[in-house]
Amino acid sequence: MKQTVSEKLFNVFNCTFFVLLGLTTLLPFINLIAKSFSSESAVISGKVNLLPIGFQTGTYLYVLQNDMFLNALKTSVILAIVGTAVGLFVTTLTAYPLSRIQLRGRKWILLLFIFTMLFSGGLIPTYLLMQALGLINELPVLFLPAAINVFNMLIIKNYFEELPDGLEESAKLDGASNVRILFSIVLPLSLPVLATIALFFAVAFWNDYFTAMIYITDQELKPLQLFLKELLVASSGEFLKDNVDAALNTTPQSIQAASILLATLPILFVYPFLQKYFVKGVLVGSVKG
Amino acid sequence: MRKRSVFAMIAASTLTLAACSGNNAPPPSSSPSASASSEATATPSSDTGGGEKPEMTMLMQYGLFDPNADPVSKAIEEATGYKTKYEMLPAENADEKLNLMVANKQNFDIMKLGSAQFYKLATAGALEPLDELIEQHGPNIKAALKEDSWKSATIDGKIYAIPETGSGISVGEELVVRQDWMDELGLQHPTNPDELYEVLKAIKEAKGIVPLTGTKDSIYGDIATAFGVINEWTDIDGTLVHKAELPQMKDFLTYMNKLYSEGLLDSEMPINTSAKAIEKFASGNAAMYKLAWWSASSAEAALVKNFPEAKIGIIPYLKNKDGQASVGVNLATTWFIAVPKVSKLKEDAIKLIDAKLEKETFKKLAIGEEGVHHEFKEEKYYPILPKFNDDLTNASVYMTGVDEHNYPTYWQARVRKDPVLQSYYEAFQANAANTNIVVDPMSVAPPIDAVSKNKQKLTKLLDDQVLMYIAGSENIADYDTFLARWMSEGGADAIKEANEWYKSTK
Repeated sequence: MKQTVSEKLFNVFNCTFFVLLGLTTLLPFINLIAKSFSSESAVISGKVNLLPIGFQTGTYLYVLQNDMFLNALKTSVILAIVGTAVGLFVTTLTAYPLSRIQLRGRKWILLLFIFTMLFSGGLIPTYLLMQALGLINELPVLFLPAAINVFNMLIIKNYFEELPDGLEESAKLDGASNVRILFSIVLPLSLPVLATIALFFAVAFWNDYFTAMIYITDQELKPLQLFLKELLVASSGEFLKDNVDAALNTTPQSIQAASILLATLPILFVYPFLQKYFVKGVLVGSVKG
Repeated sequence: MRKRSVFAMIAASTLTLAACSGNNAPPPSSSPSASASSEATATPSSDTGGGEKPEMTMLMQYGLFDPNADPVSKAIEEATGYKTKYEMLPAENADEKLNLMVANKQNFDIMKLGSAQFYKLATAGALEPLDELIEQHGPNIKAALKEDSWKSATIDGKIYAIPETGSGISVGEELVVRQDWMDELGLQHPTNPDELYEVLKAIKEAKGIVPLTGTKDSIYGDIATAFGVINEWTDIDGTLVHKAELPQMKDFLTYMNKLYSEGLLDSEMPINTSAKAIEKFASGNAAMYKLAWWSASSAEAALVKNFPEAKIGIIPYLKNKDGQASVGVNLATTWFIAVPKVSKLKEDAIKLIDAKLEKETFKKLAIGEEGVHHEFKEEKYYPILPKFNDDLTNASVYMTGVDEHNYPTYWQARVRKDPVLQSYYEAFQANAANTNIVVDPMSVAPPIDAVSKNKQKLTKLLDDQVLMYIAGSENIADYDTFLARWMSEGGADAIKEANEWYKSTK
């Protein structure tokens, strides 16, 4: 198809515009990297833009030797792995029966799930529940309540529904049980959606600070994002106002930058490996043939 | 209703399911005792003898460290024989979190609270009155605190907390200026607002910058003081007057508005963080701002790095029309050490606090051992680095009341960790000593319902409005209309009750 001049112009403009837009999302990262490698004086006086000034790596050494950071990193890694495994497991087990027409009353059960997606008990009743269950200040509180994510469950359910009925019927004829069908036939065919949901879970657990802020006061159990949040808040004027002793011990900005970067990198590295499933997985489940 | 119960069932079943898959979570109450027994052998010989001391739980304010791993926690255990498990409030939303924990009767034996938090819990009946307990188990507590200090923690005649007053009277901030520019332009330090205006104007003309910067927290202080807006509350002929009511407020705002509209005051002041203000000063984009001594060393280092010839000059506190300089001082209690009603170890809580306030123990917990952590020369305590930092950086977070007779002297060892810090601290204090130091009369008041309840709201209301007057988006001529609104939203009640208390002390 031949393009007119105006169409070409539009395309050129469009591409440039979106490339620039894309770059703007990259700029904060570059700025952060530059800050983390710069001397504190240069950072304080606001001279660091895209390139480090007064290059140093001491900030990284400091952060990587900081027990609190390492502890938080450990918690976050455990949380992301265990949380994703548990989440994926129970979400799949919920999605599968709900995707089968044989299940009687599934419309109503589904409605109940969707109801919880829109309404929740509220913060304080939920806190009371967690306390009654003995989960306050325990690691499981960070992933158990979020183990079944209705949105993720619906995506998996839709994907399961797309699979040809014939597969299941033939397995049944061969004498496979329901569990066998799920694990030997349905799940291997659903890897794209499982990878996507796994990434959803992992990113959500990795980025979540709110749950920990509410339920965790034990320093040893605080995940990385909460540590980061507190690092930044504890260096802000609001917190230091009227608190001279805290003001004397603020964290230098270059160290803050290094901490943010080190906390973001691990989850970034997961993306490239799951990317190919990522877009495909969500779409396949949603588009009805 | 049915839907909810079904949801609860599903949630419960998933929980048991997950619990079976290897995440067996013990109830929280069992975990502290487990760790206690494992470390019970490490408990040193206790001086009081007799009986195992129970493990205590203390809630503290946020600090960026692990309170259970810090050397100070071990030092406290060694000195008192009490093993304590520490939990911290979060750095943000601390009040909400505290309410949540108290409403759910989460167990703590000692709580270190801010004044608003204390007042809320005390009036809600969540805190134990301590008069008798202190009488029986607190000889050191009584010796360490001055009689006047108890007022702030007394509500309806009962003591609900041990007030922790902190480091004594000191001033934190003072205007500083690029001295090298002042010298270059042949300018003298301004002594009053009018001269300040001339200096700012001269710098703006010569350097082409907006000379004065600041943050939204630094509206008051130097300049306001020179106009007579010194503290939040002022005693005028025996009556307490809030700064919002002062007629001088309008003069001050008019002056600030003039600076703002002529481009002498940073238009970003309302949104500047303190880091941003330092950045502007250190990068040569501002010539003057209010420096806090605790950020002096990083600010000076950054400035000198950018401009090796730069110097910082400290401007003495400005004088008012009558040639008198003043500095406002707030003596309010910073922290309140309370024992919640839910605690099962109330006596031990007071015994622990008492043991920490024993004279020598307190000194050791505050500044360590002489020759190891600090040295004493020329009547001053100096820290020995890096040992002092290694072991005592977070000491103040653990404090539950201070030895009020000595702590201000001990505490200064913290300032002497760094010569730049020390020089600014001492210069500010010396400058303040040359002025008329005005203590906020309300800062020693006991909690007063109408004042405490509305404080946050009224402060925000006033601050926001004041910024609008300074920036010229509201006309200062309408100040009285605003004042009427401020009064009706609780200001009038606060003033009335504050005065009732004030008259009763006369």
